[in-house]
Amino acid sequence: MPATSLSKNSQFSQMRRRFSKLAPYLWVLPALTVYGIFKLYPLVSGLQMSLLRWDGIEEPRYIGLRNFEKILSDPMTGTVLMNNVHYAVGTVVGKIVLSLFLAILLHQALKGRTFYRTSLFMPVVMSFVVVGVLWSWLFNPQFGLINSFLRGLGLEFLVQDWLGDAAVALNSLILVDIWKWYGFHMVIFLAGLQSIPDELYEAARIDGASVWQQFRHVTLPMLQPVMIVNVTISVMGAFNVFDIPFIMTAGGPANATNVMALHIYIRGFKFYRFGFSAALSYVLLVIVTLVAAIQLKLMTSGDNTD
Amino acid sequence: MSAAPFTKLDAKGGGIHWRPILVTIFNHSILILFTLIIVYPVLWMILASFKSPGELISNIWGLPADPAYQNYADAWEKAKLGRALLNSGIVSIGAVLVVVCLSSIAGYAFAKFSFRFSTVILLVMVFTMQAPVPIIPFYVLFVRLKLTDSYLGLILAIASGTIPLAIFIFQAFFRSIPGELREAAKIDGCSEFSAFLRVVMPISGPAVATVSILTFVGAWNEYFMPLLLIRSDELRPLTLTIQVFFLQFGRAEWNVIFATLSIATIPIIVVYVFLQRWFIRGLTSGSIKG
Repeated sequence: MPATSLSKNSQFSQMRRRFSKLAPYLWVLPALTVYGIFKLYPLVSGLQMSLLRWDGIEEPRYIGLRNFEKILSDPMTGTVLMNNVHYAVGTVVGKIVLSLFLAILLHQALKGRTFYRTSLFMPVVMSFVVVGVLWSWLFNPQFGLINSFLRGLGLEFLVQDWLGDAAVALNSLILVDIWKWYGFHMVIFLAGLQSIPDELYEAARIDGASVWQQFRHVTLPMLQPVMIVNVTISVMGAFNVFDIPFIMTAGGPANATNVMALHIYIRGFKFYRFGFSAALSYVLLVIVTLVAAIQLKLMTSGDNTD
Repeated sequence: MSAAPFTKLDAKGGGIHWRPILVTIFNHSILILFTLIIVYPVLWMILASFKSPGELISNIWGLPADPAYQNYADAWEKAKLGRALLNSGIVSIGAVLVVVCLSSIAGYAFAKFSFRFSTVILLVMVFTMQAPVPIIPFYVLFVRLKLTDSYLGLILAIASGTIPLAIFIFQAFFRSIPGELREAAKIDGCSEFSAFLRVVMPISGPAVATVSILTFVGAWNEYFMPLLLIRSDELRPLTLTIQVFFLQFGRAEWNVIFATLSIATIPIIVVYVFLQRWFIRGLTSGSIKG
């Protein structure tokens, strides 16, 4: 080759430059491959499956949008979705109000803060299976802790068949969900409270603001970012909830605790309606996305305080 | 630093500071009440695991009269908890290794290199990481790859859900490391990758700990993925084992169930209590910055 050493050099440095341009992709490739195959691919490949009549064994048959038509006309869809909405409202309100209240108390009570924080956060490290099985017994109508406690206090009228009564069961599951997570949300609110500069309260006090006004006009607006985080996590959790109803009530009694994720699982793996189940997944996906978008929009546009 | 509301009350209360004292008492009683609501059922579960079936009904609130250690032996044997613990351990540690290795390398690239589509990739992850995966195509994919009923499949299923958050945690951490460190290593003749391995990773303990705890606790407690992917008894992790055992024997042998739940819970709670700061940081990362 007649190339001079100079041009060889420049060829080499050109190659090096090209490689260093490619190098970052090699760094991210392994992680993106796993994420792409196991998360993104099913998200896309399911679209085609949602257009099939398929039991997972026999040859699938293309049926167009029939699965979606069936979902829209099936009264079950509405029942299940309303359960999700009920669950979302119950858990979100319960978790946010309780955890914010506790965070404010804990923010003031300096002594024992680590003890409280550690104890209240504990259920987060526990499995939903353990929590679900444990609470199934606590809710036992005859021998459970809850009814025994209520009888002991003479509150007989509050004694319930917590999981067996269709009118109560969903609320019982909501209680368990709140129980597992309020410590978690409290820790996040606490971090938010600790980031509010004291000067803001001082200024408010100089202006003669009452405790309530300080809360309303300093604490709440300053907590908006953590509030968005807490509400988003709870709402997402409520629309994706599966473990608690599956373990504690299996969706019963009479579908009173049947929720979308459970409905999808049962249609798919109990009735082997793979196409229908896949279509349901996309209905859930669209709903979750819409809820997240609306909520983000509402929560960020509501911020008119400076 | 957080005495602000007290000062306010002091001013109103006048000479004797009785109001702050009352406020403190009020704060602590409410906090104790809600702490009890959390801690008591767990303590009760452990106590109940030492009761006989009869005592579970006759002596709901009291301590076990004659501790029935047999419950634990029964639980261990009937539920095959040894195997279940081993399976959970393998899957959880496997998931931690996969997530930490892949996400730290990717996170470093996102933090330190500029390349086309990096923002696009991160945005795609942000928008899809929360999305509920359609389970049918997910399951079919695992069947086609022959990854059902295997440790590897379960590890990958769990890891793929955690990778985006782990990348964000690593990326944020690596951004905070001064660039000179990397330059110095490169001047010393290190390649980019060996600079990362030998200089950056050794000082990345906090990020590795955060991601490891997040992944481990998530994998250890994961129930849905094994339900979907694991068929054979020998591969069932703890969560699935407990649920299957609960369905089989639950209605009859609650005391043994409580022993099972205690075996599953006590170790992780003990570790949690000792490392609570790390656990809380790890499990809230992604929700709280820093």
